[in-house]
Amino acid sequence: MSRTRSYGRKNLIISILFAVLIFILSIKLDPYNLGQLAVALMLFIGVLSIVLLTGASGQISLGQGALMAVGGFAAALAILNLGLSIWVAIILAVIAALLAGLLLGIAAARLSGPYLAGTTLVIALAIPSLATRFESVFGGDVGLNINFGNPPAWLSSLMGSVGYEQWQLLATLPFAVLALLFTSNILNSRTGRSWRALRDNEIASSLNGIDISQTKIFVFVISSGFAGLAGVLYGLRGIVGPSVYPISLSLMLLTGAVLGGIRSILGALIGSILVVFLPDVIDSIMKHFSPSEQVANYLPAMISSLLLILTVVLNPGGIAHGLHRTRRHL
Amino acid sequence: MEIFLSAIFSGTSRGAIYALAALGLVLVWRGAGVVNFAQMGQAMFTTYIASTLIGHHYSYWLAFIVALISGGILGAFVDLSVMRPLSRKRSSNFLDSPAMRSTIPVIASLGILGILQSGAGIFWAAEERGFPTPVNSLGLVIGGKTMPFTAFDLFVIGTVFITLVITTYFFKGTGMGLAMRASALNPEVARLSGIKIGSMRTLSWTISGVASSLAGLLVTPSANLSPSTLDLILIIGFTAAVVGGLDSLLGSVIGGFALGLLISFVNVYDTPEDIFLAILVVLLAVLLIRPQGLLGSKEVRRV
Amino acid sequence: MLEIKDLVTEYGSVKALNGVSLVAHVGKITTVIGANGAGKSTLLRTISALEQPRSGNISWNGKSIVGLSPEKIVRLGIAHVPEGHAVISQLSVEENISMGALFRMRSNKVDVKNAQQEMYQLFPRLEERKNQLAGSLSGGERQMLAISRALVSRPSLLLLDEPSLGLAPLIVEQIIQTINDLCRNTGLTVLLVEQNANTALSVADHGILLSLGSVVADLPAAQMKADVSLRAAYLGY
Repeated sequence: MSRTRSYGRKNLIISILFAVLIFILSIKLDPYNLGQLAVALMLFIGVLSIVLLTGASGQISLGQGALMAVGGFAAALAILNLGLSIWVAIILAVIAALLAGLLLGIAAARLSGPYLAGTTLVIALAIPSLATRFESVFGGDVGLNINFGNPPAWLSSLMGSVGYEQWQLLATLPFAVLALLFTSNILNSRTGRSWRALRDNEIASSLNGIDISQTKIFVFVISSGFAGLAGVLYGLRGIVGPSVYPISLSLMLLTGAVLGGIRSILGALIGSILVVFLPDVIDSIMKHFSPSEQVANYLPAMISSLLLILTVVLNPGGIAHGLHRTRRHL
Repeated sequence: MEIFLSAIFSGTSRGAIYALAALGLVLVWRGAGVVNFAQMGQAMFTTYIASTLIGHHYSYWLAFIVALISGGILGAFVDLSVMRPLSRKRSSNFLDSPAMRSTIPVIASLGILGILQSGAGIFWAAEERGFPTPVNSLGLVIGGKTMPFTAFDLFVIGTVFITLVITTYFFKGTGMGLAMRASALNPEVARLSGIKIGSMRTLSWTISGVASSLAGLLVTPSANLSPSTLDLILIIGFTAAVVGGLDSLLGSVIGGFALGLLISFVNVYDTPEDIFLAILVVLLAVLLIRPQGLLGSKEVRRV
Repeated sequence: MLEIKDLVTEYGSVKALNGVSLVAHVGKITTVIGANGAGKSTLLRTISALEQPRSGNISWNGKSIVGLSPEKIVRLGIAHVPEGHAVISQLSVEENISMGALFRMRSNKVDVKNAQQEMYQLFPRLEERKNQLAGSLSGGERQMLAISRALVSRPSLLLLDEPSLGLAPLIVEQIIQTINDLCRNTGLTVLLVEQNANTALSVADHGILLSLGSVVADLPAAQMKADVSLRAAYLGY
């Protein structure tokens, strides 16, 4: 019990440090990188949904992008049709994603491995296509316009003028911190241990009294809530539509999770920063070689795919695992 | 009636292609325990190779053969460079639970898909291209009447039929085919019988590569060629394979034709926008109601 | 001659074999008996390279075979019939038998055909059922098939793991007798693992008693059979 409590305190301290660090960055960075960092934080929440699902409980989902879309569309409809504030809409979006996750989880609890991967892949393709199908509601290919709005007056009076990108980052930050705190606490709890037991040995954990399908559904629901939260923040940058949540978004989350370390919260952070900033870094390096347009367009994707394969073959624990090992050797 | 017949014919010819895609998936699943999400990426890549050859004024048939051969080579390469090292990495604690052992290769195959798609983007600038047919693809005219099918439909169905006959003979009538079935069904007994199961795995990947490449060549004329055009075929092929039972070659072929007809009817009587939903409904229905599929065996299913 | 020296095999941190040494002479039946979990199956699995030993040596006709793959070991004339009537139930009886000779197909097609015929002479019931799926056979028939699958490769050393498991005494008698005849007539070397000590010792030339991964007795079969105290101590009867 006291062990759990000391973990809790440690998690709280880490979360506060994380918040302070991002806050400092929010003052230092230029608008472009502020926007990129905001995206990285949004994806961080999405990647955490994979750390919970795949890393902790061993289920795979290629459809997290679709759950992000559920969150985004739910919020957009609430804002545009009911005139709710973005904060209420965010809560509704998370609830909608939790419900979608419940439905999905009930189906997914009976599946594993490649079956689950294939089914969630189909879902990732099918859900955004609903937007085109019911164009009058979801705005078709164009999508629906929502945004973070203007920074509140008290913030501007506190910090001087707050740019839109800065406001995006600052509005995302509390959610990222909450997600971080929630994830680290649940992974260190009894619940988190029962998930890992499930991942490592289904039969043994069912003998130990863990209800397998109930646990799987529960993980799916929690993970979907995270994805929904990431999705609404991602959509609040301007547009909610099928092109905002393509299949490649789901794959990007998975790539981030694997590169950083699929079982690690630190890994999730490293991974999301990597997938967002790596293309920029590659771009800035390539400028010196003046590559053709097609190379410039596709090289980042090729490099991240290559890193993905190298990671699973050579170091399945990802960067976080590597860091951990290095620390032990030192 | 006219419309109904034409839906049947185009569904059959589409279904033949889906059957090939599903067959390719099942071959690798049975032979190597991996669902290869890169499969249609491989097919896309080899179709680009064919398209480039045709663009340089080589004959369709030469391009066709070269694409099939490169499909086989690509399949073998994927196995030797990624999947085999992965399957040998038993010591890692990330691979010690069954859940992760089946998940990690899926992630690897997505990485391969990413490389193939971005590679196609770099080599071929991701330009959308048409792709020719070897025979006419307008409604066939027999005795002055336009038939509800085209010469290309017949070509597709014929090619797939021949492929299925050859595949069946290979598996049922040759020692190599027996060795492949044995290693897929029971690797331990196969090894004790002196069968080199590693080579059999690579062979599964090779044959699957050829089959997928063929599916790509046959399906591309009706879509356009771009790095991601064949993603749809992957999920249709996957669904067809699950409908058939994922470990049954015959089941996957039946599943392919069933999906072909279904999609054709959705196309004609409903709207093409509903295709994804229809696929999702079929997939979920099969997985929830009859998870072993039409012909899959319960004991082998590793859900 | 099969010679095993100080063989250690581990599953994780558990030592299944803890320094086993033994010899199986050519043309003789050597039986390894012992209680459940004594390491009998692990011994055979290590010889046929399904498991890799931690240390120690295995040599066949004077050459070490440690580190070779199972596929290679079959080619050296060592055939293993694993525990549990190991056949492939989704393949036909005929396919199960041909499977065992596939690797010789290219080099000696005629002899492979002959070997297959010999299996049907050895176990005529298999010929009657040759087009049936192996999964539809009775337990005894499956064991006969598993043995045929191994013998069709014309091995000079046969590793036989608990052929009596779950079978009626009459069938066990028949199978053991067939192995015995084969050994006496063709000079086949047999390493027979059994929990059923009486049956095994009645045909074997030599007995080895394994307990908790170690050899506790290594005696001529007749002598071991007569040693009541030994059996009481390690086998419980």
